[in-house]
Amino acid sequence: MSRVKVQREPENLTRKQHRDHARARRKALQEAEVAAAVRQTRLRLLGIVVTVVAVGIVVVLLATGGNTKHGIPVSKAEQSSVVHEVSNEVGGIPQRANVLGEPTAPVTLQYFGDLECPVCRAFTLSALPSIIGRWVRGGELKIEYRSLETATREPEVFKAQQLAALAAGKQDRMWNFIETFYHEQGEEDSGYATESYIQGIASQVPGLDLTQWTSDRGDAALSSQLLSDGQAASAANLNGTPAFLIGRSGGTTSKLEPSSFTEPGSFNEAIAKLAKS
Amino acid sequence: MSARSLRITLTVLTVAGLGIAGYLTYVHYAEVQPVCTAGDSCIKVQSSVYSKLAGVPVALIGLLGYVSILGLLLARENENTRFAMMALTLVGFAFSGYLTYRELFSIHAICEWCATSAAILTVMAPLSVWRYLRHAPTLPTPRLYST
Repeated sequence: MSRVKVQREPENLTRKQHRDHARARRKALQEAEVAAAVRQTRLRLLGIVVTVVAVGIVVVLLATGGNTKHGIPVSKAEQSSVVHEVSNEVGGIPQRANVLGEPTAPVTLQYFGDLECPVCRAFTLSALPSIIGRWVRGGELKIEYRSLETATREPEVFKAQQLAALAAGKQDRMWNFIETFYHEQGEEDSGYATESYIQGIASQVPGLDLTQWTSDRGDAALSSQLLSDGQAASAANLNGTPAFLIGRSGGTTSKLEPSSFTEPGSFNEAIAKLAKS
Repeated sequence: MSARSLRITLTVLTVAGLGIAGYLTYVHYAEVQPVCTAGDSCIKVQSSVYSKLAGVPVALIGLLGYVSILGLLLARENENTRFAMMALTLVGFAFSGYLTYRELFSIHAICEWCATSAAILTVMAPLSVWRYLRHAPTLPTPRLYST
């Protein structure tokens, strides 16, 4: 802020002081007016910025929120597209119960997942196809899908959906079931995994005998397997999903902690190392 | 707080945020596991669909944001730089708020690096608004007079 230095002249002191005072008042008034105008402009600009930012965040929330809403497609064409995609991924690969791959594959990867877990979905749709295409099809890896409750809030819902997957495994179609489930996973905590949803997933598994599947869902052996999966996860100190144990088939396993669930790099490295050993 | 100490505080916070965003960008592109005391929470967040916006990693968006803020802090200060700085920190604050919401309610995992960056922006946003509003306006050049 500039200061004005005024020289005093003794002969006109009173009049001068009066003039100076008047000037100072005018200046102060001008400064106050400018300051008020600037403050008003700044507040208006701040308001505009806050509004634009708020609108932007709402747009981002709506745009990204939509990405999580999947569920079973209404149209048959979209359902066929999922079935086609899943068949392309696992078709022609031997399946037995919860295992995908040649029984003689030298390396075993245990994949602990919760069908409602969004990160498992991200892994299944992003990194897993490449792992299956390169290692499982190549006969060097088999993958065991095991259950670990994390994202599903209600234990009875978790049990129902995991038993449904295991029951599909009794017809060697568990991987079609879980892949379809992940492809058509609904929004977390929305309570989408109802009985009709589970049946909707099963109805998209090619060749699955639905009557047999319905009957198998009550098999006590499958409940035991579910329990055993949970115990195995606890023993390996696995708390979240997706989680992985890897090792030479028939040998001991160790925890695999990938650097990313959506890139296959860490998996490729670990599998290659074990396949050579 | 003087204008100088406010600027220094904001610069220190920006450099800290820059370091975090830079590290997370490196982790993303180098495909290495982030240092994380909360188990695999950081990987879950980084592997989630929310780790990218329109295909661009949010860590990279954060890095560019912090670089821009630092540039504005180091540039010669004037009304425009203070306004741009305020606008950028508000955008960053809102965006980190959105990401924290996703971590809590969509991913159910908290990445401590992201949380620290959110905390930094939570401090920076009101400071930069205050800096913008409180600064004395530049008055028209006064007419100097003498008698």
